[in-house]
Amino acid sequence: MEDRVEAQIIVRELCKVYRVPEREAGLRAAVRSLFRRRYRDVVAVDHISFTVQTGEVVGFIGPNGAGKTTTLKMLSGLLYPTAGQARVLGFVPWERKHDYLRRISMVLGNKSQMLWDIPPLDTFHVLGEIYHVTPAELKQTLDELVELLEMQELLTKPVRNFSLGERMKCELVAGLLYHPRVLFLDEPTLGLDVSMQGRLRRFLAEYNRHNDVTMILTSHYMADVVTLCPRVILIHHGRLLYDGELSALAERLAPFKLIRLTLSNERAEDEPQLPPGADVVEQESGRLTLRVARSEAPSITAHLLNTLPVADLAVEDPPVEAVIDQIYQEGDV
Amino acid sequence: MNQRGGWALIKSTWLSWMQHRSFFFLLAFMWMIPPLIYLFVWSTAAGGKTIGGFSRGEFVAYYLVLILVNQLTYSQTNWTVGDVIRSGQMNTLLLRPMLPLYDTLASEVAGKVVFMAFMIPVTAALALVLRPEMHVTLRNGLAFVPALGLAWALRFFWGYWLALLAFWATRADALLGLQDSLVFLLAGQVAPTALLPGLMREAATVLPFRYMLGFPVEVLTGQLNTVELWTGFTFQAGWLFVALLLFVTMWRTGVKRYSAVGG
Amino acid sequence: MRYLRLIGSFVRASTQNELAYRANFWISLLYALLNLGTGVLGVVVLFSQVETVRGWDLPATLALLGVYLIIGALRNLFIGPSLNALAGLDGEIWAGKFDFTLLRPVDTQFLASLRYWRPLALVDLVLGLGVLGAAVIRLEQSLTLPRLVAFLVAMGAGVTILYAILLAFTALFLWSPGFLFTWAFDAVFQMARYPVGLYPGWLRLVLTWVIPVGVMTTVPAQALAGGLSAGTLIGSVALAVGLLFGASALFRLGLRRYTSASS
Repeated sequence: MEDRVEAQIIVRELCKVYRVPEREAGLRAAVRSLFRRRYRDVVAVDHISFTVQTGEVVGFIGPNGAGKTTTLKMLSGLLYPTAGQARVLGFVPWERKHDYLRRISMVLGNKSQMLWDIPPLDTFHVLGEIYHVTPAELKQTLDELVELLEMQELLTKPVRNFSLGERMKCELVAGLLYHPRVLFLDEPTLGLDVSMQGRLRRFLAEYNRHNDVTMILTSHYMADVVTLCPRVILIHHGRLLYDGELSALAERLAPFKLIRLTLSNERAEDEPQLPPGADVVEQESGRLTLRVARSEAPSITAHLLNTLPVADLAVEDPPVEAVIDQIYQEGDV
Repeated sequence: MNQRGGWALIKSTWLSWMQHRSFFFLLAFMWMIPPLIYLFVWSTAAGGKTIGGFSRGEFVAYYLVLILVNQLTYSQTNWTVGDVIRSGQMNTLLLRPMLPLYDTLASEVAGKVVFMAFMIPVTAALALVLRPEMHVTLRNGLAFVPALGLAWALRFFWGYWLALLAFWATRADALLGLQDSLVFLLAGQVAPTALLPGLMREAATVLPFRYMLGFPVEVLTGQLNTVELWTGFTFQAGWLFVALLLFVTMWRTGVKRYSAVGG
Repeated sequence: MRYLRLIGSFVRASTQNELAYRANFWISLLYALLNLGTGVLGVVVLFSQVETVRGWDLPATLALLGVYLIIGALRNLFIGPSLNALAGLDGEIWAGKFDFTLLRPVDTQFLASLRYWRPLALVDLVLGLGVLGAAVIRLEQSLTLPRLVAFLVAMGAGVTILYAILLAFTALFLWSPGFLFTWAFDAVFQMARYPVGLYPGWLRLVLTWVIPVGVMTTVPAQALAGGLSAGTLIGSVALAVGLLFGASALFRLGLRRYTSASS
């Protein structure tokens, strides 16, 4: 059965509101709470709409508690929304039809679905049974994945001895051994060291290219998003603030560029003369970082080269983190 | 000894435990059930007559007191000591300017207060329904307090030194399970010590378990004459001395080994 | 049938998981023997003082203890471990891992009930059968075929009731994840060690109609020892079926609530 829908994931005005008990600190409040509980309504997801095509890799970014994970859970059928609609692969996720569940997969960054005391291969076999994967298919898929992830020696050791990175590899195999059409990843690189993060990103990119699997990824690591996701959706306070290319976001928000200068020692003066429109961001012995408006960058660069003993000069885009931080703080695009 | 630290610890432990008060009420409820079962079984068995000198009402009284004493002497922290050692948290505790013992004691005090908040009303309600028969004399009432205190200390330190075996062996909690079973059988839960058959009764009189639980109960309910009372106290103090000795030895050698091996 | 194959693969994975720790075997054996010992001794001590209690004598009460141990063993075999993995102290719901279970294309109740097995519980089962056998030999009535059939039916009903109650408690955990309902039940389950007739009237009603632990052990024991009416047997079967449907419905309701209200 081929999935011939226009877009693979369609989300319309999705909302999620839930009640949280609240209590103040201190002894009196503790005693009072014995008799009466107070609640608060929290809007986790506030009328979010978007569509995703087959094979796209989309990154959800946003500060903690923004609603990214909640949205992901609604799309995987783990949560009923308070309002709104969604269709994934033609199914309504929260109806949790078995046919739907067999075509999606969720990988959680800090939680493991592996059985702890036995080798991962045993868990994979159980999962193969659960997901209707024939032993022959399972063997072939496992061989491919194990080779791609370079984890041959891990297969026969109990999971409790694994490092975080090794466990993550197992999670990916567990999530992909039944060839899902859609993959949800919630903070998959959380806590991993830099080289492992890089390897996982490469694996995911490769897998997506080969198998045309749609991926939605949430992450705090900008490097994940920058490397993997041509498209990002920014969620803050439950609302969708931006949906598009990451570079365009940076450009829109931070219409400036950074100029890094290194001055030669010969004519070192205390205060180099700077043209107007150039703000000093950083200044160390002989090295300057200036912020200039994007449109003025060429003219200011020329001016600097002419008037100052420049040994080295580079013009850069502001780092993405700074842009995102700014959004988090200001709460708006 | 760090007094202010100790009180602060107790208060903060109590506050955080009150957060999970249903958990502790549940624990208290659970510990109450086995003696309650025997309360019903024996009082039904006695019917209108007496068994071994106990009437129905006296069985009820015995077991209600046992429930309270059990709650007051049971050392819930013994179980966590092993966990603390195994998980490496002992390192944090050893760094504090207080013996980890005080941490445990703070938990004990906080726990007892929380448990009593549940137990006392429930026991009182049960007493109203079940109509116990009890005559408390002044002598027995006064003797009850030290008997109770010594019983708690004995049960605490005996369990503690067993738990410290976790410094050497990983599954020392199996021994704690064994200890619980022995307490159950020989400390007056299955039956008041006087009613145990021959060999068991002799074992119970000599072993430390009766002095952790059954002895104070027997004191308060007036089952013991003066000779038996003093013999009992002697045994109790003697076993407590042994327990303290074992505890100190285990602690010293254990900590040395723990730091040497690296936790 | 696919579901049978799934169960097979669950048993296999669970057995491997169990065998990962050697110490578990010996400790389980120790606990099983302790459980047996304290149970038998409890009954023996009681009957060392009286001949019968409300019509129950030593062999009949021992038979009931045997039934209790067998039902406990069956619970520990798969019902307990599976449901506990969900709703226990370290369970999935508590640790936030329930999502994985919900994502599986298999009926959640099936997974929750049959997922984890503890083959070591077979030891408890053998011990229980031993006690039952020893008691049956000393019973006054001989074991006839109709009596055996009645016993098996009663046991089936008893195990079903147990499953239904534990499933219901697991379901309640989905509403209030803080309260460890199965622990509360464990305590009440202890009361099934003794014939329900031994408890005072009001408690007997509670143990028959509110939390039917009494039915689980007393009815099968009566089937063997005599005194079981057809009405009681039919009633217990009806209760089992009713509770099963009710608990399953409650579980599904709980799933709906969990996925609507959590985050």
